[in-house]
Amino acid sequence: MSLKAKQFIIAILGLTFLASLVYVQRMEIVRRQEEAGLTDPHISVPASSAQCVDCHNQSTPGIIDHWEGSTHAVKGIGCVECHEAEQGDADGFEHYGHFVATIVTPRDCARCHQAESEEFERSHHAAGGNILASLDNFLAETVEGSRVPFNPHSRTPGRAIDKVNGMASAFTGCMQCHGSKVALLGTDGGMITVDDLEPDADGKPTNMEAVARISKDANGKPQFHNGTWPNTGIGRLNLDGSRGSCSACHSRHDFSPRRARQPENCGKCHLGPDHPQKEIFEESKHGVAYRDLRDEMNLDSPDWVLGEDYSQAPTCATCHMSGHTRNGGTITHDPGERISWTNRPPVSMVMDTDINGKVVKEADPAEREKQIVDTWEAKRQRMKQVCTHCHTQAYVNGFYEQYDDFVVLYNEKFAKPGKAIMASLRAQGLITDTQFDEEIEWTWFYLWHHEGRRARHGASMMAPDYAHWHGMYEVAERFYQELIPQAREIAEHGRENGKVAEADAVEQTIDEILKRPEHQWIGDAH
Amino acid sequence: MGSIANWVTERVPISGDQLRELTNEPVPNHLKRWWFCLGGTPAYLFVVQIVTGIALAFYYEPSTSKAYESVRYITEDAAFGWYLRGLHKWGATLMIAAVILHQMRVYFTAAYRKPRELNWIVGMFLLVCVLSTGFTGYSLVYEQLSYWGATVGANIADSVPVVGPLIKTMMLAGESYNEHTVPRFFVLHAAVLPALIVLLLAIHITLIRLQGVTEFKSEDEEEGKPQHFNFFPDHLYTELIVGLVLMILLSVLATCLPVHVGPKADPLVTPEVIKPEWFFYTAFRWLKLFSGTAAVLSMGFVVFLMFCWPFVDAWIERKWPRKNLYAWIGIVAVLAILGLTVWEAAVAH
Repeated sequence: MSLKAKQFIIAILGLTFLASLVYVQRMEIVRRQEEAGLTDPHISVPASSAQCVDCHNQSTPGIIDHWEGSTHAVKGIGCVECHEAEQGDADGFEHYGHFVATIVTPRDCARCHQAESEEFERSHHAAGGNILASLDNFLAETVEGSRVPFNPHSRTPGRAIDKVNGMASAFTGCMQCHGSKVALLGTDGGMITVDDLEPDADGKPTNMEAVARISKDANGKPQFHNGTWPNTGIGRLNLDGSRGSCSACHSRHDFSPRRARQPENCGKCHLGPDHPQKEIFEESKHGVAYRDLRDEMNLDSPDWVLGEDYSQAPTCATCHMSGHTRNGGTITHDPGERISWTNRPPVSMVMDTDINGKVVKEADPAEREKQIVDTWEAKRQRMKQVCTHCHTQAYVNGFYEQYDDFVVLYNEKFAKPGKAIMASLRAQGLITDTQFDEEIEWTWFYLWHHEGRRARHGASMMAPDYAHWHGMYEVAERFYQELIPQAREIAEHGRENGKVAEADAVEQTIDEILKRPEHQWIGDAH
Repeated sequence: MGSIANWVTERVPISGDQLRELTNEPVPNHLKRWWFCLGGTPAYLFVVQIVTGIALAFYYEPSTSKAYESVRYITEDAAFGWYLRGLHKWGATLMIAAVILHQMRVYFTAAYRKPRELNWIVGMFLLVCVLSTGFTGYSLVYEQLSYWGATVGANIADSVPVVGPLIKTMMLAGESYNEHTVPRFFVLHAAVLPALIVLLLAIHITLIRLQGVTEFKSEDEEEGKPQHFNFFPDHLYTELIVGLVLMILLSVLATCLPVHVGPKADPLVTPEVIKPEWFFYTAFRWLKLFSGTAAVLSMGFVVFLMFCWPFVDAWIERKWPRKNLYAWIGIVAVLAILGLTVWEAAVAH
């Protein structure tokens, strides 16, 4: 090759290399613009999911649209990466050359988000499915519905209904927040749940008899029991033994961090008469500031660290989960890590938690000390780190004194006495063991489950109207005007029916309570 | 201009003629063929690695707690970090490939024979240093695979009889991966091994200059024509073209196949599949085929044979002259390396 030819090639290659550097510069500019939210991010469809995207763009375009707006799409995480199942998974099936599962469980998400998954597993959120054995669920399954299907007692014009699903209220109400026990349909028409499959540590079923009973459609796809799926309840009991549903907060298929940071996201479940946290937040000055300043809160920021990326107002996520400058921007997926009182039960308890993240109920100080792994003081200190981004230490301490006093007042004046009266009635056999079959059980339930929680939650998040008018005012009214009269009436009926000693015991309990200084204002009228 | 030239000549007493003689050594005609440029290619890529490595070191933090986050920062946040890391990663891949191809060219053209045996041994040391640099660099990312790759590598070293445990302890700065391991790998990767490579390269090139390049005469070369051509500008142009092609190739690879950050290392969770970088596939597959110590010893023997090859080849030539057995041995070795590499790449475990 002549020298001239070589010089020509060098010139061409030199220009090509310069062009490649210009292209690199262009890529960097585009990347910066995407980061700053000035342009739509570049979507990269991984080869493994190209076929899924093509097909579902026709059949379920919304799913693809949502996914294209996700960080997953930008990072090249496609359909297969999340939905991929392993041979032996109870709900796995062949789908156009891929072995996939419909439900993506926290175990699947943990393949990439392990730390987040572990935090979530420790949380009370993950235990939301425990409601299946609770008083609330008795209400939905038995009082509101029926645990066994029953026949309709009259015709529904236009519909041929031959059976009433008594679990409908539980499936549609309770479990859509608390999480269902996901069930596959059995060949015998029954349900096959995690209890039947008995999964091992890797989530693989060990009970092959149950696996053999799974009903499948013509394409070999396992059929779900429609009562338990669709479900994105936060404490969902999955077939692989994992608990929870990440999409409860991180809505699929865009998994938007922006949405998870906003109170409306939590408001799917944390609202209503029994735990109106969202309404309470909205009434508080925090909520007022949020509504006014949300556009300045940098909600699209990749990290969203309080004190760095924003400080205009807090949301639920800010106080309970998000990173801030005092903890190095560390996010937690256990919202209980910063909560010092649990206001869920009839009587509030301090949030000393054991190794499993459960509230320690032990009363003996020495034994209690042994069980506690994380104290309520440590949790409060974590919350104070958040508060002190905007409030002085003295202000925060003052707030907590007000809050503590409020909770203790509720506990001592109404909750513990109410609980003692109900226990006395039951111990004396003046009410049955069946819940909600007597008026006073509804009264007591309203008192602590609705009004008592409203009052305490109102106090915890600085919403005076909820603390007082929707809270303590109604607790007091329910206590003096309903609980006490109804308890005395039951005792009186018992006395008339020959249960004199039992009635005396209940009366004595009530009298001793009402003789206390805090109740003396009401005199002998009750 | 004259006064400036005089000023420089007074202080650097080398005349223009001497400089021309030094830089313009006649180059044998066979070097006009492109595949004979494979010796310069790794040297060129080594310079790319040094430059990009220095740029990455501005941000990389060599500690167990910060290594992963700093690599993530380089890849996702720092300006042009993704490009520099891509150049560095693909540069390493191409450099190792070029070293292997260069060695194969030297082998099949028997350029290692007398009087160039020592330069072959220097080349073998260079190969070991380059592979070690690749291994330590891979481990610096502190991803799951790099962490477990380092752990498996150390365990393999542990199987060497007598000195194995000592080698493992020296590698990991302890009996197992600990907070001193990443800093140790960093010092090896960014200081010790590059310095050794520079030293060995200097010896390698000096020996080439002293002995001259091996001369080959191709069959189609016309009699009576010049046997050599000028280094400057002829050969320099050729090297410049190779360098530019490499930079364009690196740029394309770094932009079209960008480097990502995998899951962070978790000492408590062993990945289902542990794979080293591709250039260790042959050794990895070999180790899987045989039991620990036997595999390590046999592998060690093969490496020892490679070091001594010029002398072994001389003995074979004396025993079976003009049979070109070295070429057949080379073909079998290359097929074995290719086979083991493809095998390891094709299977999950």
